Amino acid sequence: MADTKEKSESNEKPKPRIRPIVRLGIFLIAHSFLVSVVCCTAGVLALFLLPVLAKNTYISENALMPGSASPMLANQHVLEGNRLVNDLTSSNLKSSETGIESQRIIARYMLDLGAEASIHKFHRQLNHFHPLHFFSSPDSGIIEENYSCSSYGINTVGIIRAPRGDGKEAIVLVTPYNALKSGLGEALSIGIAYSVFSLLSQVTWLAKDIIWLVADSRYGEYAAVSAWLRDYQTPKFSSLSTLDAEMCPDIDNLYDLKVNSITGSKFSSSFKRAGTMAAALVLKVRNKSDQFEDTISIYAEASNGQMPNLDLINVVNYLAVHRQGLHVKVEKLWSLLNSSWLKILGEIFESLGKVAKSLNPKWKFGITATEYVEGTATLASSLYYQALGLPTGPHGAFRDYQIDAITLEILPKFSSDKVRHSDILLRGGRLIEGVIRSVNNLLEKFHQSFFLYLLTSPSKFVSVGVYMIAFALLIAPLPIVAASLYVDASSLGNCSKSDKSTPSASLDTDEHSITIGSWMWLNSAKLVFLVHLWGAIVSLIPYVICQIPDCTPTTSFMIWVLLSMLSFLTLYSVLASPLSCAKASQEKEWALVKSVTISSVFIGLGLMSVINFATAEIGALLMVPMCLLARPLKLDVRAGTLRSFSRMIGNLVLGLIAFPPAAFFLLKGMLDGFGSVNVGAFWIWVESLWAWNSATYLFIGMVHLPCWVLCIHILLHTC
Amino acid sequence: MVPLCYCRFLDRLQLRELKDSLIIFCTDVFSAMLIRATGQNLRLAYLFSLESLDLVKQIEVSEILSSGDIAALIYLWNPFTIVACVGLSTSPVENMAVILCLYGACSRLIPLAAFGWVIATHLSLYPAILIIPVIFLLGCGPDAPPRKLFLQRHQQEEVLNQSKLPLGFSWRPIIHFAFWALLWSVYVLVLCGISLKQFGGIWEMFKSTYGFILTVEDLSPNIGVLWYFFAEVFDFFRNFFLIVFHVNIIFMILPLAIRLCHRPCFLAFVYIAIFSMLKSYPSVGDSALYLGLLGWFVNELADMQFSFFLFCGYFGVSLLSPVMHNLWIWRGTGNANFYFATAMVYACLQIILVVEGVSAMLNHDRKLRNLTTGKPRDAKS
Repeated sequence: MADTKEKSESNEKPKPRIRPIVRLGIFLIAHSFLVSVVCCTAGVLALFLLPVLAKNTYISENALMPGSASPMLANQHVLEGNRLVNDLTSSNLKSSETGIESQRIIARYMLDLGAEASIHKFHRQLNHFHPLHFFSSPDSGIIEENYSCSSYGINTVGIIRAPRGDGKEAIVLVTPYNALKSGLGEALSIGIAYSVFSLLSQVTWLAKDIIWLVADSRYGEYAAVSAWLRDYQTPKFSSLSTLDAEMCPDIDNLYDLKVNSITGSKFSSSFKRAGTMAAALVLKVRNKSDQFEDTISIYAEASNGQMPNLDLINVVNYLAVHRQGLHVKVEKLWSLLNSSWLKILGEIFESLGKVAKSLNPKWKFGITATEYVEGTATLASSLYYQALGLPTGPHGAFRDYQIDAITLEILPKFSSDKVRHSDILLRGGRLIEGVIRSVNNLLEKFHQSFFLYLLTSPSKFVSVGVYMIAFALLIAPLPIVAASLYVDASSLGNCSKSDKSTPSASLDTDEHSITIGSWMWLNSAKLVFLVHLWGAIVSLIPYVICQIPDCTPTTSFMIWVLLSMLSFLTLYSVLASPLSCAKASQEKEWALVKSVTISSVFIGLGLMSVINFATAEIGALLMVPMCLLARPLKLDVRAGTLRSFSRMIGNLVLGLIAFPPAAFFLLKGMLDGFGSVNVGAFWIWVESLWAWNSATYLFIGMVHLPCWVLCIHILLHTC
Repeated sequence: MVPLCYCRFLDRLQLRELKDSLIIFCTDVFSAMLIRATGQNLRLAYLFSLESLDLVKQIEVSEILSSGDIAALIYLWNPFTIVACVGLSTSPVENMAVILCLYGACSRLIPLAAFGWVIATHLSLYPAILIIPVIFLLGCGPDAPPRKLFLQRHQQEEVLNQSKLPLGFSWRPIIHFAFWALLWSVYVLVLCGISLKQFGGIWEMFKSTYGFILTVEDLSPNIGVLWYFFAEVFDFFRNFFLIVFHVNIIFMILPLAIRLCHRPCFLAFVYIAIFSMLKSYPSVGDSALYLGLLGWFVNELADMQFSFFLFCGYFGVSLLSPVMHNLWIWRGTGNANFYFATAMVYACLQIILVVEGVSAMLNHDRKLRNLTTGKPRDAKS
């Protein structure tokens, strides 16, 4: 951007000798239309090329050594796990009223292994609107108001101290468990975790402590894990917990364990800690599945599109595929799998790859059409979930504390006999054991491999260096067009000035009369700033609306729209009206406004690409064409040629599509069918965004919406 | 520094902090008032010089707001100032000392100027080089077009009107200034010596203030570029590069002083911008100062190039820098290079600002010369 701008402005003064790089800049600016068309097309094309350019994953950290040791998990551990599963399912049949019974069983099993067991109580925390959460560290939470005992959740935590460790590091294993309505799947996941836990309590190679968290998922899996993490990371020195325990009698029952248990002495009601966490695995088993083979699906997206280190996924993938013979998959957008245009595109790429291979056998970038379609579907879902900025599972809570974590969901082959359960326990347990053993080998925290990547399959990824090219190509025209518009507008301004000025200094007017020529953009910058201010106001309005009790999503949305329009009118009448009379003097004011708008969009997109790439990419796909095409409709109508007519149509369509709610409905309609679309859905979506403190929400409110308003302003400009 | 300020802003809105922030806030307002007063002085001088060159009609001076008002408003509304104030940084106090010095020199209050200079030097060392613009200010008055121009002008008219000529260089106020500066510094040092007696005396103070500034001991990340460099550099080169970086500032003093000696306030602005870019622990508060002072020269710099680019650059960097810091420190997905990249861009922007500012000022002088010398020729033809 710096170069182009510099070059553009040096363009203004005719100099006898122009350096080549300046000439290149002038050339680019002079042909900004062509450049922007080429760059945008190349950007979109590069996005579709990403599945082809994806590389195979490899394990970057040598210390991990996955699969170097043979698994030690034996049938005896599996039997113990099975025993726990049976106990849990049978106690479930007894149906204790608060589910305290199953927690007690788990805690007793932990104690029997010689591990330290403790319970952790937490309140359900409502999600709060916290716009700058992204910048601040996770706080210790708002001091709780009076909660009744019924809103308690109880996590059970078991810790194995490593015989070879110094207690400064730990690996976390999480199994969500809802005691109130647990299925066989949850019991099985606890069984797997327990069999691994029982093995790890005996082994001698352990260098990091093992924490097993049975997260009480009655208020959601994420809430339980994040509450435990918050308490783990921010020590409290108050006596709040003891008071709480006195208030709620049924929790006291758990303390009886201390007396009952023979191995005893290691159970405590206080919060137990191990060292800093090296990695965390969340384990789930889904019982009802119609898979034809045992499958593991990996969920990795944390809040704001953050991903765990790629090495963690690699280790899981390697062990699952090459050691346990499990089928690994990641999320896909299923609707894309059947799309015919994608298949055609895939065939084109396949044939291109074949041609390239026939030219030079060393070029191997061709992939088959089906691979391409699957890769694209996976990539699209990867982009989609990252762009939403919502975590896809309880592992998301760990990423807020810089801990790498993933969720493993085991989908067993459909069958109901008992042998299958043992098989699942054995294979799942060995997988977990292998991963823990690898992580146990780590000397430092994960840092070798990528943090910024998109997955196209469990064993293929696109790294930041590749996908940034597509994004950079897409937004490259913005500074060029902004510079060319700016140069045009300011030179035009100078010309009109020179026409008006007195003939006495006609020789070199530009040098003689002092104008504020180079500061003309200030007016437009003021307008752009005001619109962004309005955007900030609009994104703060839901905070007020959600205070209103008993609002259906539809009415909330309507109130939001009304308040936004009201604030817009107020701002416009208070601040912008003197501006409208000032701008009448400049004919090409819209060009300056467009230039400033494009610059602000460029800054916003650049900023967002650092915070959350996927949001920026999707936003750029919507906003860049709209910004570049925007031109007053009046001019197009006046021109009356075919070209201006088509541009006008394009402007109108883009102006319609790029409006955030419209874009949302369109996308939702395309994915789920238009039948389910209603107005309230947008409100629910937005609410989920801000409740999860997603940066996407701020992006939509403060970059996308103002940009759209400014483009509409340019379209309706009276020139 | 910026993200730190942001973070502090979030949890610092408590009552017990209000007292400190009130002091900082008052300092900022007082600085703005001083900037305004100085700006009005400069504007009078500018109008006077235009009048004596008979150029009042050719040059449009913005009448809506005087340059002093603009400068004060820029200073007060600059997000950098606000952030430095909210973050309870001490830079507003340092800035006030600098402005006090310039104000005193502009309005010829020699003791005040000397006091400002001594305090500013005492607080942050770098303002010591402001002694050169202060000497020019006291010696030959505030900013004016080159003296040569007046002489030429009056030779052409062949009427030597002494009252319209700017004063020559006079040594009297400078000797006064030296005397007062000596007095104030002795005073400050004695006070420091008394109060620091039990902490190791005055020598210890020198070592842990000026020594700390000059040897760049603290390498925690800031918006400057030195921390990264000295974190990377080998230990046995460290002294060499310390000398290189500090001599870098000193090298620029003399050429600028020769070229801009007729515009001492602008010279002061350039010096402030340079040392706030090259100082060992820069913060946004320093940028707030020179960006505010930029408003004084709104008439002269009206034709500055790249203004829009610089604006976008400052805007983008000040948003990107906290995000990069967050990516590196909090999220752990980035590394130091991410943040350092924004620091480098920031340094480049400051360089462009200074270079463009100086060239715009020189162009302005050239334009004045053309107007004075070229007009008779036009009239003849």
